Order: sequence, then structure tokens, then C-alpha cells
Amino acid sequence: MTSLKKYPLIKFTDVSVTFGFFEALKHVNLSFYRGEILAVVGDNGAGKSTLLKVLAGLYHPDEAGGIEHNGVPCAINTIQESRALGIASVFQDQEFCDNLDVTANLFLGHEMKDEFRRLDVSKMEDEARRVLAQVSSPIGLRKPISTLTKGQSQMLSIARTLLDDPEMILLDEPTASLSVMQTAEVLSYIKKLRASGKAIVFICNTLPDVFAIADRIVVLRHGRINGLHKTSDTSYEQIIAEIAGVDNAAGVMDSLAHSTEEPQMQRFDDQKKLIDRQDSPATETDFVSGSDD
Amino acid sequence: MALKKPSGSQTALREANRALLFETVRKFGGLTQIELSEATGLSTATVSNLVRQFVEEDVFDTRSTIRSGRRATLVTLRRQLGISIGIFIGKRQLSICAMDFSRTVLSSHTLPLALDHKVDSTLERAILLVEETITALGAPTSEIVGICLCVEAPVNKLTQQVAIPGILRGWENKELRASFSSIFNVPVYVQNSAHMGGLAEARLGSARGVENFIYVHASDGVGAGAFVNGTLLRGVTGLAGEIGHVQVDPLGPICSCGNRGCLNTTVNEERLVSLLNVTHGTMTLDDLIKLANDGDPGCRRIVTDVSVRIAEVTAGLCIALDPKLVVVGGKFAETGDLFIEPFQESLRRLLFPDAMTPIDVLRAQYPDGNQAIGSALFALEKSSLAVSFPTPEVSSSTGTTPSETTAPKKEH
Repeated sequence: MTSLKKYPLIKFTDVSVTFGFFEALKHVNLSFYRGEILAVVGDNGAGKSTLLKVLAGLYHPDEAGGIEHNGVPCAINTIQESRALGIASVFQDQEFCDNLDVTANLFLGHEMKDEFRRLDVSKMEDEARRVLAQVSSPIGLRKPISTLTKGQSQMLSIARTLLDDPEMILLDEPTASLSVMQTAEVLSYIKKLRASGKAIVFICNTLPDVFAIADRIVVLRHGRINGLHKTSDTSYEQIIAEIAGVDNAAGVMDSLAHSTEEPQMQRFDDQKKLIDRQDSPATETDFVSGSDD
Repeated sequence: MALKKPSGSQTALREANRALLFETVRKFGGLTQIELSEATGLSTATVSNLVRQFVEEDVFDTRSTIRSGRRATLVTLRRQLGISIGIFIGKRQLSICAMDFSRTVLSSHTLPLALDHKVDSTLERAILLVEETITALGAPTSEIVGICLCVEAPVNKLTQQVAIPGILRGWENKELRASFSSIFNVPVYVQNSAHMGGLAEARLGSARGVENFIYVHASDGVGAGAFVNGTLLRGVTGLAGEIGHVQVDPLGPICSCGNRGCLNTTVNEERLVSLLNVTHGTMTLDDLIKLANDGDPGCRRIVTDVSVRIAEVTAGLCIALDPKLVVVGGKFAETGDLFIEPFQESLRRLLFPDAMTPIDVLRAQYPDGNQAIGSALFALEKSSLAVSFPTPEVSSSTGTTPSETTAPKKEH
């Protein structure tokens, strides 16, 4: 395991993602390692989810960039290709089929069949019970999805990633909308996954949770990497400064971004941010708008 | 589904189902019979039969409730009235344990924390965690009889505050009890975590029935709790057993306590993983322990060296106290014999060669969770209800342990 650790599982070289005129990710160089928890933090519209969605095969990087898997160049064009590389993902507000029960939702799209190609319900239930026990969740297997609380469906979507025994797990805000007890379960569980040698990438805006479990923290701002730190070598203050773009010493990349960009582009960025911000809590936007100048 | 289990007889099958049912209720707190059958895979008829048996045996309680608009039967563990709460606050984690008067662990949770976590936010999360745990058990918060908080730092027993600055940074000289006592209106105690780990081992773990023993907690830093004639030795200020701050190298680095060359300067996460930097890259203590268990020679070497280092300091304590037993807990204990054997060997070498009774070294029964369990036990034993309760006599035959999968026997 240790020898593998030094070589990245996935390596991004100069990855950019463009939507029309808008560059969501700009020249990102980043490596993901086995047995490591990488936290992605940043303001709204900074490109956090875009980064994850490139890994999940939902967005495609521009021609110039390259992705390597175990040192071999590869392309992640579809969700199926991403899954084939051993990448499982949990996105914010995961959608479930409300009319189906818990087991059916867990296996939606890849149901288990017996030798006569019939649905093997008991096998699926055994498997579902196994993964739900792993996240220590008392969710009933035959409960309709509509009766679950938000926290329960969050646990369910994490449990769903475990069915394929993936190498890499992507989590978008796994602890948002969870109670302290459920947060405790989820964080402890992420640590357990790390111990079993999986690469974990998670987006999180709760810094105490980030500092509790992450090995490295990457800060995104306006689609660029504005800081990449070992958790043990950094502080809340530095991370917040980099999210907001006020730290000149550490934010060299950020000041470069300002000087090279046309003012028009900047305004477009801000508009996009404004749109994204509308549903976010006031506190988060406050410090950003205060420090943006 | 239950039929798939290897079973020799009907009785064995029933026993297995009973154990499964008990474990499920213990883990999830209150569940309705329908939820139980979904969670265990047993048929509703089996669940209802077994639950009825358990109720007759005074193990479960049932009461009617409403789930999704339908009538349902809520099944909970039968509790002795009153719950005590144990909270452990370490450098990197917050653990909580709820326990009733039969000393059954009703629920336990662990929340990872950031290094250098802050007093106010951590205590706030601890309070929320207590409330949610109690609610999940289906009990009112008024049923809490006492709360004991233990911290991974020396505690001054007179002020009930962290005594030495620097060890749990930011926690020294802070009032920790006020917020709990004002919300839950119960007595709150502050203790040292190694002392509480020792208490858990004394009452429920490896040192049951032993009156004189030393508990050594070896993780990121070392602590100890000494039991003399059945009572915990705390000293005048409560600092007894702080073997992590015994000097092992007069010219060594400065310790977080301000002294020089303490045992904790050699047994701490940063130092130990730095020894592996060249060969293994960046790692954590958890990685080190896991790799040692997987057979990595470098990591195994570190574990045995740490074991010898700690044993040398413990030997001094053994000469002073002449215990029957040394119990080893903490993350290093998770490596089992790899840590225990060199430890025992060093003790033999350093203590009287022809001793009448050589000191045994045992692994803790709950190597990485006994602090919260011990705290809950402490609060339980302190609470006034305990006075009218039959004395918590521990004999190995009737003692119930939280990890037992079968139904606990009642000791009264």
C-alpha cells in the first residue's frame, strides 16, 4: 500500500473546463492518492463541483488538458467510464425514485439477477443490509424513499457508493443538512474508508469537519487552485483568506488571475457568482463580498 | 434469510436470532417491530415472538407508538431508570457514551475533531451530541443522572480544570462544567482520560476483580491510571500517573508541558511518523498502526521500540506501587502481541528478577473507547441514586460487558 501511495491514482495535468465564454476550471494540476482524504473548499462558483464532475465523467475537460489513471493517460467521457475506473460519486441532493423502496433505489440501474435472470430480491436485501450496517444506519430496507429524512437519504447515497467496492469516492457536501450525531457517523465512516486504502475527495464548507479528517486541502477560487496544503501545515485563517482571495502572500496565483484577465471577464464571473449565491446562507457571502475588492 | 446461517439445531438458530435481535436494538436504540424485522431480516412473526420472550426476561421494554400514521410497537432495551453520560475529549476526537444503572452501554458515538479544536465549539457539539443520543434512546433528558467529561490532559481535581497549559492547547484554566450543568441540571465532573480508561478496565474490562493494577494508555502521548486497593490513585492535585511527563532524555526536545525530554516527546504522532518520512512518505499514527498490523517491518520496529520506551518508565511505577497487573490500552494496544510482548519482556528485565509474582501484562478490553465508558461509569458511581442501589460488586461470573452479543444477565 505504501509504495502505491507515492504514485497518484488519478492525475490532472492542465485541466480546464469551459462553458461557452465561462471558464469553470482553469489549468488545474492536481493529483489524487490512495488512502488519502482530499478536501475541496472554495466560494460558490469556484469550480468545486465542476472538479468533481470531471472525475465523475459528467463534464469534459478542454482538449489541452490530460488525465492519467495509475500513470496511464485516459479519458473520462461518461459516468460508465468513470465507474469502470473505480470512481463512485455522491452528489448534493441526490435524486431517488420516490415510488420505490430503499433496496430498489440502492440497486437502481444495476439490479442483481439470479441464474434465471430473475430479480434476486433476497440477495439484494442481504447486500443492502451489509452496506447500511457499514454506515450504521437503522433505515428500513422496505421503507419508501419518500418517508426518509434528509439525513437518512444522505446516508443512503453514501451507502450506495459502497456496492461496487470503488477505489475512489467523490462526496459533494456529505455533512450538509446532517445532525451532529449523523455527522459523527459520516466522518468516522470516511476515516474508515481511508484506512481501507480508498482515495476520497470531498467538498465541504464546514471547516471544522474539513480539518477533522482531511489529509490535504485544496482551495479553489474562480476556477483556479488558490492554495494546496497539508492539513497539518495550515490554519483556518489561511484557508479562509484563500477562499476569499485576500491573502497576498499565499495567493500569488490569485493576484496573477486578476492582472491577466480582462475586466469584462471579471464581471461575468461575478454575475455567475451572484446567480449561484442566491440560495446560499448570508454569512458565507458576507465575508466574500466584503473582501472581494 | 436466517436459515442461511450455519446452525446445528433449532436451539442454536434461535440463540443466533436472539443475539442478532439484541445487538440490533442495542445499536440503534428504539426501533419498532417492523423496523426490527427489516433491519435483521427475520420474519415479523419471529421478531414478535422473540421480543415477547425478551420482555418476559426483563431485557426489552415495549410501548405503543405511531410510525407513518400507523400504530406500531416500539422496542427499547429495558433500562434501569437513569442514564449517565461519559464524554471523552481528546486531541483529535470527541466520544460519547450513554450507560444505564446495569452498566450496559446504551449508545456510543465518535466525532473526529480538528487538531487544536476550540473549547466553545467543541463543547457546543458535545451538548448537541448528548441531546441527540438521549433522544435516539427514546428517553427524556431529565433521565440523565450525571455527566462526566474526561480530557486527554492533566486535570486539577480541586478546580476541575485542565491543569497544565500546552497539552490540550487552549483548554487550560477554562470552566468546562458550567454549560453542561446549566442545560442538563445534573452534577458534572471533569477527569483525566487515562484515569477513566483505567476505571473502565477495572469495572468492565481486562482488570475486573484485580485491586492493584496500573493502566497505561499508549497513543499519541502516554498516560496512566494506578489503582491501589481498588481505588484510583489521583494524588493531591489529581496529576498522579502522568507518566508521559517523566523525563527519559535530559537533552531531548522541549515538551508541550514546558519540561525537557519527557516520554511524550518520543511517543507522539509527529515524532513517530517523521521517523518513517524517508521510506514511507507522509502518514498518520493510524496508518502506522495499520501497516504494523499488516506486517510492514519499519512500522513494526517503531511499535516495539515505543513499547520498550514506555515499559521502562512503567517499570519505575511498578517498583513504587507493586501492582498485580499492567493493562495496556490506546492505539498501540491495537497491535496486540507486537506491543505487549516487548513490554512484558522489558518489565521482567527491569523488575526484581526473582519476584514471587511476576507482573502480568494484558491488552485492554476496549483499547480505544474505554475513556468514554469509564467516564460514564464514574458519573454513575458518583450519582446519589447509586447509594441506594446495590453496591456495584464485580464478580467475573455476573459482570455484564457492553460488547457481549447475547442478552445480559441481570445481576440483581
